[in-house]
Amino acid sequence: MNPTRRSFLTRSGLGFGGLALGTMLARDGFGLESSWRPPTGLPHFPARAKSVIWIFLRGGLSHMESFDPKPALTQYAGKTFAETPFKGIDDAERRKRVRVVVVNDANGQQRNKVYPLQVGFAPGGKSGIEVSDWFPHLRASVDDLAIVRSMWTTDDNHGAQIQFHSGRHMLDVQEPTIGAWVNYGLGSLNENLPQFINMGPRFFDKRDGRYLGPAYDAVPLVIDPREPLAYARPEGDISSAEQQMQFDLVGKLNRLKATQYPGDQALDARIKSYELAYRMQMAVPEAVNTESETEETKKLYGLDQAGTKPFGTQLLAARRFVERGVRFIQIQHGDGAAGSWDAHSSLKANHSTLSAQVDKPTAGLLHDLKRRGLLDETIVVFATEFGRTPGSQGSDGRDHHPYGFSVWLAGGGIKGGIVHGATDELGFHAVEDAHYVTDIHATLLHQLGLKGRKLEVPDRKRLDLDYGEVIKGVLV
Amino acid sequence: MKFIALIALAGLVLPASAAGKVDYLRDVKPILAARCYSCHGALKQESKLRLDTAESIRKGGKHGPAIIAGKPAPSLLVKKVSAHSLDERMPPEGEPLHAPQIATLREWISAGAPAPKDERPESDPREHWAFKPPVKAVVPEARAIGEGAVGKQPKAARTTTSVRASLITNLSPLDAFLEAQRRTQNLNAQPPAEPSLWLRRVTLDLTGLPPTREELAAFERDLSVSRSPIPAPASGVDEQVRKREGESRVRAAVVERLLASPHYGERWGRHFMDIWRYSDWWGLGAQLRYSQKHIWHWRDWIVESLNADKGYDRMIIEQIAGDELAPTDPATLRATGFMARNYYLFNRTTWMDDVVEHTSKAFLGLTMNCAKCHDHKYDPLTTTDYYAMRAIFEPYHARLDELPGTADLEKDGLPRAFDLHLDRPTYIHVKGDEKKPDTNRVIAAAIPASLAFKPLVIAPVPLPAPAHNPALQPWVLTNHLLAAEEQITVARQSVETAQKKLTEVERASGARTPTSAAPKPDAGVRASAVAPAAAPPAPAATTTAEQARGALKAAEFTLAAAQLRPAMVSAVWNADASRAAHSRSNSNLLAAAATAEAKFKLAQAQAELAKAELELIAPATEAKKKKEPDAEKKLKTAQEVLAKAQKAISAAGTNYTSLRATLKAFEGPDESEAHRQLPYPTTSTGRRLALAQWLADRQNPLTARVLVNHVWTRHFSQPLVANVTDFGRRAAKPVHAELLDWLAVDFMEHGWSLKHLHRRIVLSEAYRMASTYGSVSVRASERPDSKSLSLSHSLTLSPAHTTDPENKFYWRMNSQRMDANVLRDSLLHLAGTLDPKLGGPTIDAKREDSLRRSFYFTQSPEDLNKFLEMFDNANTKECYRRDESILPQQALALANSKLVSTAAAKVAERLVKDSESASDEAFIRTTFTTLLATTPTPAEKKLCADSLAQFLAAAQERKSAQPEAKARAALVHALLNHNDFITIR
Repeated sequence: MNPTRRSFLTRSGLGFGGLALGTMLARDGFGLESSWRPPTGLPHFPARAKSVIWIFLRGGLSHMESFDPKPALTQYAGKTFAETPFKGIDDAERRKRVRVVVVNDANGQQRNKVYPLQVGFAPGGKSGIEVSDWFPHLRASVDDLAIVRSMWTTDDNHGAQIQFHSGRHMLDVQEPTIGAWVNYGLGSLNENLPQFINMGPRFFDKRDGRYLGPAYDAVPLVIDPREPLAYARPEGDISSAEQQMQFDLVGKLNRLKATQYPGDQALDARIKSYELAYRMQMAVPEAVNTESETEETKKLYGLDQAGTKPFGTQLLAARRFVERGVRFIQIQHGDGAAGSWDAHSSLKANHSTLSAQVDKPTAGLLHDLKRRGLLDETIVVFATEFGRTPGSQGSDGRDHHPYGFSVWLAGGGIKGGIVHGATDELGFHAVEDAHYVTDIHATLLHQLGLKGRKLEVPDRKRLDLDYGEVIKGVLV
Repeated sequence: MKFIALIALAGLVLPASAAGKVDYLRDVKPILAARCYSCHGALKQESKLRLDTAESIRKGGKHGPAIIAGKPAPSLLVKKVSAHSLDERMPPEGEPLHAPQIATLREWISAGAPAPKDERPESDPREHWAFKPPVKAVVPEARAIGEGAVGKQPKAARTTTSVRASLITNLSPLDAFLEAQRRTQNLNAQPPAEPSLWLRRVTLDLTGLPPTREELAAFERDLSVSRSPIPAPASGVDEQVRKREGESRVRAAVVERLLASPHYGERWGRHFMDIWRYSDWWGLGAQLRYSQKHIWHWRDWIVESLNADKGYDRMIIEQIAGDELAPTDPATLRATGFMARNYYLFNRTTWMDDVVEHTSKAFLGLTMNCAKCHDHKYDPLTTTDYYAMRAIFEPYHARLDELPGTADLEKDGLPRAFDLHLDRPTYIHVKGDEKKPDTNRVIAAAIPASLAFKPLVIAPVPLPAPAHNPALQPWVLTNHLLAAEEQITVARQSVETAQKKLTEVERASGARTPTSAAPKPDAGVRASAVAPAAAPPAPAATTTAEQARGALKAAEFTLAAAQLRPAMVSAVWNADASRAAHSRSNSNLLAAAATAEAKFKLAQAQAELAKAELELIAPATEAKKKKEPDAEKKLKTAQEVLAKAQKAISAAGTNYTSLRATLKAFEGPDESEAHRQLPYPTTSTGRRLALAQWLADRQNPLTARVLVNHVWTRHFSQPLVANVTDFGRRAAKPVHAELLDWLAVDFMEHGWSLKHLHRRIVLSEAYRMASTYGSVSVRASERPDSKSLSLSHSLTLSPAHTTDPENKFYWRMNSQRMDANVLRDSLLHLAGTLDPKLGGPTIDAKREDSLRRSFYFTQSPEDLNKFLEMFDNANTKECYRRDESILPQQALALANSKLVSTAAAKVAERLVKDSESASDEAFIRTTFTTLLATTPTPAEKKLCADSLAQFLAAAQERKSAQPEAKARAALVHALLNHNDFITIR
């Protein structure tokens, strides 16, 4: 990664360090487009939401067995697609969008024998939207959700995880992730905490900021009550006043050095990292200390049960971060390089176990945000890189499926209790109001009061596809 | 991942019609190049079709012309790319061509498929720059460049150029190549960095430790001596030239000192450990799954080899085939840790894949791994080539051999490679699926045909006996006798303890005359072992006299057996040696060994029986009892064993158990111990040796280039060939190809000496440049009248900053962040607490108080040092370059860890002790020069003085002992957090 990042940094002359340099250059009459100004940190128009909690299930959640029930699968189980009344659903044009990363990759091939639903469904809430029995708590909260059943993407392997965050296929030039854009576009609501936090496992590229610079990368946190933040407290004999003086001195010395080395992005990023570090050392342990929460709240997130505790703890921490003004909290669920939701076999055992880990805590989070009045200004996103094939893989699994899958959004000016878009009868293609992943990005930015196009930086032309389109149908 | 960018770009091509008439070169060719050439170009000609010139497109292949000019619809090319069926469609892999691309092709054909006449076909892949041996280009002459460029340059630049041209007549070849390139871009090199910054740079770079205060002072002193005027230059030598030469000598002396330091081998050893994927063993609990125990012997070999400046060619050969090169020499065998490290318990194919991938990447800069499932898309590497390379490694396995010192392989041993399965066939796995081997064809060991500048010459290597039977190594007898003596000592202590216990028990129970429990080991008669029925049940935790006597007896028998072991070891050793040395071994020796073993076994059986008897009368704790078989049963077994042993002694024959002195790594989780004990082959296939010699051949076009690029990358923090592991056809000829080639040839001409290469680089002008982006010099800020805070007004960024922001042309030095190891080691070194001990077993990664250099910590995916991990420590699975992240957590580690605060206090203590003046001002200056190798500006001085006063007040306020020392330590601590401490400028 190193070489690319480095060259991006230096070439763009942007990022945190670049900003300082950019203004300096402008003053000295050098290069850069004179009309361009870095973001002020204020929304471009009145915002409906302040923060985002981004839940991402790594590996690929089956849409048919979660939020997009397809009884036809059970009805025609074991038949080939051609033997069902829906043989015409396959759409070569849509299929062509997929770009294979690994040539001859066995992943994501068509599995043409219909595999029956592995779980039952029931309607929930007043809206009566059907949600699978693996998500009973979310079913009870369905009136808060806007389920988008018509997502599609173009990578049929797990590079789709990066794609869902950055909007670009992994074979493309990489763009900053949605979290980095929010971090870049919006000012801080709390100087003491990172504005962009990642929790949970990440195996692919971890450099969210890309050409915006390392200052816009997510700060990874491990929510470990024994050590909420490594080296959070001075281990030597030093008072807090002395420590503050030290940080202060370091900052001033580095700024003096920056006058000798204008254009040194690493130095500028380090200055910022020290400023944040100093404030973080108190604020992070306080923010992640869930001990002060009531027993009732802890139970709400499933902290009293081993299965739900790890994820619940992260979500509870996320709520506490939101309360404290963190803009973007991204939580990855599912360990392993591919992500544990990747149920090529034993889908039933896999999904029933994993859904039990996330269902209750996620519903708990929604409930908790709501009763604290935070849901209005916080958007919760529940996403995954792709769905799973309607046909079977092996005897009891489903393969990767980029042609149609589901995500949901809640809070922050998003309608509750609605379904937007649809896949065909077999859950194969997104056929109604289909949305590429950047439409989710566009929707978030819109609710946060940002115009994606206004954030574009010189020499970094973005494509229309990168901006996506706001999913108007889910907005209040 | 980046490699497929071509395809991505092709996807973004706008429909040509939008831009007007379709142009073949601009619009058509790029589409074909991106999507078709890999099968219909120079690399391959599927269906005898080439699409890399308009002419060959018209000509077509097996199925006729690919196009009919003027008629797109019936043209085969159009039909194929727009076919719906996947069986028909071209390209068969990946996404189909986009509609605008197809439209472009159609439009071009409609227009009659016009193309330039002189179009050249895609060049032969073998013509790729990196596949041809490097040659030394003529070194550009500095003066000529200067003069030649003058005419083209603007007036202002001209003056500078001519002045500089006169100064650079003596440029090193390295600098001459770089300067020639800079001139083409009208770029001026930055002036040299402050000498002290250069010293810090080169010292950290070559040893991984910062210069000491004394070294900094000595360097300044030597420089000023070299610059001082001498009376009346006798020969009229130009004063400036003389000064330059004097200064060069001083710098060269520094570099010699650093290269001679054992720390050089540690620093660069760590770099090579990154590239060569050093990892200590790991697994699940005690089960070894990856790498090998005691693999640190390989690390020590790396460090020692570098310090001895062993040729890189030789290093390659020893690492890949040390066992075939010097089969009985442990010092060389250590090198094969490179092979042993790839050991993987569960899946041989995964293991082989790792070896093929990383041997190719590390030494050849080839992404051989891309050819595992299909022929390489860009390089002339076929799937057969992939498996032919695997075949080279197919026979090899890993094992541990005894080393002088101990017979216990858990304590120490030599992890090494050896050929175990000489005839195991290699098959192609269809589409990379190991469950589908194509058993119709055995793939022979070979190197890729496209790189066969000379064929692989494979000759089996007959192994001397101690190579396949390490028990014959001279130290093995010593090891085992030592172990036997240790057992005697232990057994003797047990006897003494048992005797004491018996005395105590008897005294307590009313002093009965002890019946001698002394055994007569040779008697072979055993006493009845019936427990006295009348014996009262022993109260818990007390011992009866009966039991104590039993224990003594067992101990005495055990001692007796132990005392027979040395004789057996010697006899066996002699017999083994005789068998190895003569085709007809001395049967007397064999019989002696067999008898000695029989005697020992008898004594052992007696001891076991005594123990079984004891267990009957002195049962172990309840819990233990449940788990163990019934004591009666045990007793019976012991009696049977004894009976057998007694019989054996009268007919010992000539069969005995040889010494082993080696332990083969498990070939999978289910392998039995007995299978592990089978003898090793007496020859090695010689395949690895042949590969290694081919890699280290002067004619190999890649090996030296790849190495030079790696070394360059670490000195300049930027490679000459962007992807250090891919010199294939995706690597365009680099801007500095001539420089790279010159260095590669020069490197080989100088015995593949790394130290020679380092000298070439670190003594260059390029390496001396400042890392600034503009012409703000530190000197300017030192002017007493300068208000340094207003510096920003006077700074002028170099125009190079906009024309070459990536520094492709090396107009300035790149600064780099200290890597994790350098950072921690530097802290300890400055604190004066670094333990300079070289080599040896690893240190527990959790030992934060260790004072050894960081790379001695155990490191594997399971063993990570917390502090080092914060700073992008090497990933043991693959680390061709380290990452350089900047995170707030790193700031916390530097500000809050005990490691840094302890170091700060020690550094401050040393600086106070060492500095002549105890004044704050002197302290600040010394601290700056020692930690950052630069003098503080007035603003920095003032800031530090103010802070020092604040720190002092704070320390006094909280009534610290020695507030002055505390305050100074606090200042040092802050400077250790300074950007320019962790940065190598």
